Amino acid sequence: MTESVHLIEALDARVERRNERRNFFKAVVGTAAVGAGAFAFASAAQAQTVTDADVLNFALNLEYLEANFYYYAVFGTPIPATSTTGVGTPVLTTALPVNAGARAVVFTDPLVSQYAREIAADELAHVNFLRSALGAAAVAQPAIDVGITPTGAFSSAARAAGLIGAGTAAAPTFFDPYSTDENFLLGAFIFEDVGVTAYKGSAALLTNKTYIDAAAGILAAEAYHAAIIRTTLDQKGIATPSLRAATESISTARDSLDGTSDLDQGIAQTTTPIGLTSNIVPTNADALAFGRTAQQVLNIVYLNKAAVTLGGFFPAGVNGSIKTSANNA
Amino acid sequence: MIDHDTLLEVMALGEQRRAERRRFIQIAGTAVMAAGGAAMLSACGHDDDEYLPTPTPTPTPTSSIAQGDLDILNFALNLEYLESNYYVMAATGSGLNDTLRTGTGTQGALTGGRKVAFADATVASYAREIAADENQHVNFLRGQLGSAAVAMPAINIDGGATGAFTAAARSAGVVGPTGTFDPYASDDNWLLGGMLLSDVGVTAYKGSASAISSKVILDAAAGILAVEAYHSGLLRTLLYRRGVETPALRTNAELISNARDTLDGPLDLDQGITGTATTSNIVPADTNGIVFGRTPGQVLNIAYLNKAAVTSGGFFPAGVNGNVKSSAAN
Repeated sequence: MTESVHLIEALDARVERRNERRNFFKAVVGTAAVGAGAFAFASAAQAQTVTDADVLNFALNLEYLEANFYYYAVFGTPIPATSTTGVGTPVLTTALPVNAGARAVVFTDPLVSQYAREIAADELAHVNFLRSALGAAAVAQPAIDVGITPTGAFSSAARAAGLIGAGTAAAPTFFDPYSTDENFLLGAFIFEDVGVTAYKGSAALLTNKTYIDAAAGILAAEAYHAAIIRTTLDQKGIATPSLRAATESISTARDSLDGTSDLDQGIAQTTTPIGLTSNIVPTNADALAFGRTAQQVLNIVYLNKAAVTLGGFFPAGVNGSIKTSANNA
Repeated sequence: MIDHDTLLEVMALGEQRRAERRRFIQIAGTAVMAAGGAAMLSACGHDDDEYLPTPTPTPTPTSSIAQGDLDILNFALNLEYLESNYYVMAATGSGLNDTLRTGTGTQGALTGGRKVAFADATVASYAREIAADENQHVNFLRGQLGSAAVAMPAINIDGGATGAFTAAARSAGVVGPTGTFDPYASDDNWLLGGMLLSDVGVTAYKGSASAISSKVILDAAAGILAVEAYHSGLLRTLLYRRGVETPALRTNAELISNARDTLDGPLDLDQGITGTATTSNIVPADTNGIVFGRTPGQVLNIAYLNKAAVTSGGFFPAGVNGNVKSSAAN
């Protein structure tokens, strides 16, 4: 489990990293234009190196992942095969042994079931919309791991976050987001904020006004989804405080992957001068939602802080021209 | 004044909270990013051995922002004045700080509103979070606009019989023709009042995104859009959840949505929170899963509570400030 090792190392390295951060800044400021620059819209003088189709195809990969997770959780099946074709050969999730444990959640709270159905429909709609917008340029669905095996993506992420123990060769631990309402919500939590930061980070990269308009609408939908998940975790956190703590652990694990900037937040309450305050919305000090570069998003979905082209939820990498994560190792 | 000054400190501390606990590394001022990607990082954090205060966003020289973008930002600022006053008032009992009300155009007064005595501690915690966010949106937009920022126009957030909320609730049928809707009276009423405003904020930012010419401003606007959607999603999720016990909440959310649709033209741009027997409708989206947008004129139809082309009314008794001020003729 190379990815898992990387993730755990990253967590252990937090204190050390903090101490080294100043030096890092001296280094990274000089190289930022090389590392993230290809995707940084920042400089007006800098020629844009990605096309709208590149950006939309990158988003399509993420939507394939999200849609399949919610589809399994609600219907017990992946998204329809007709929604997976495109440039390259589509990899059906059912063809991957790792997805054997993905299945319909037996929800106990009807509200959670109703949210799951709504989100599943939205995410498939996003897949189909992006495929339609891209036409013949749409990439096929890559290999996706939404299973529950001990070496799979969910288990690796949950282990790094401390949600499950380290396990042994004889008794490996695994995380099953399909087993309970709460685990489903935590599984969804892993995705949704990432989707928001991805669209937020991409908005200014698009040039076509129609695409900007559509991407803004999808960004908002992802933020609504994230709010549903975070609010519901918070409400269930009244009776089960460990849920709030779990979101902080997941957030911390994600932050260890995507570079030194703290782009992620859990939902734990804090006491402020005006009273007990929630943290449903992950924002910066200006109350703006965070954005991630595509490369940072790939660090998270690959579960690897190094510059790699596959891993984690995408065992064979994403399809399209944007496929390498940032080097935050 | 004391209340306002205290509030400003409180809000500043609230932001410090996030900065401190997150070891914040901030991209300081979006304008800097345009000047060159390499120079954009400015560290500020609370480490064991150091504390660097959060830098104030660098005011953007207004001359560098195209007039069209200035108009969009100022239009957004008017909406943020409305939202922030509602949420800050509900959470703290005071409106927006006086220092955040100044600017070009005619500065108006804030009418009505009071602190909500929340019964549910988590609802109160949400109210405080949203209040802090909206307060910072005002602060951020003013910082970006610099000397071009419009002043806070006259705003009516009154919960009495002559207040804008009551007018909206009457037209929606949430209360009868002579009834009163007081969004400060209960947790549930605060949620409905919030839903009334927050969905409008989402559609306004969404509707403006593609009209923004500056990539830097678009990036910031996308960040605010997302936050408004989180807020709206939070409120709608709670209304839906509490609607299990109190079905009237789901019904009233539908009525508010219908009323907004009556105001903003023939297209059905608005949705309540009730889906089917097995599906919720927290996200107001079209068949592509894409959230709706409204033009500024349509947004003003709702803010003015008038489907005709007018320049004032409803929540803005003297109209909004800036160049975009007329509602659409529907």
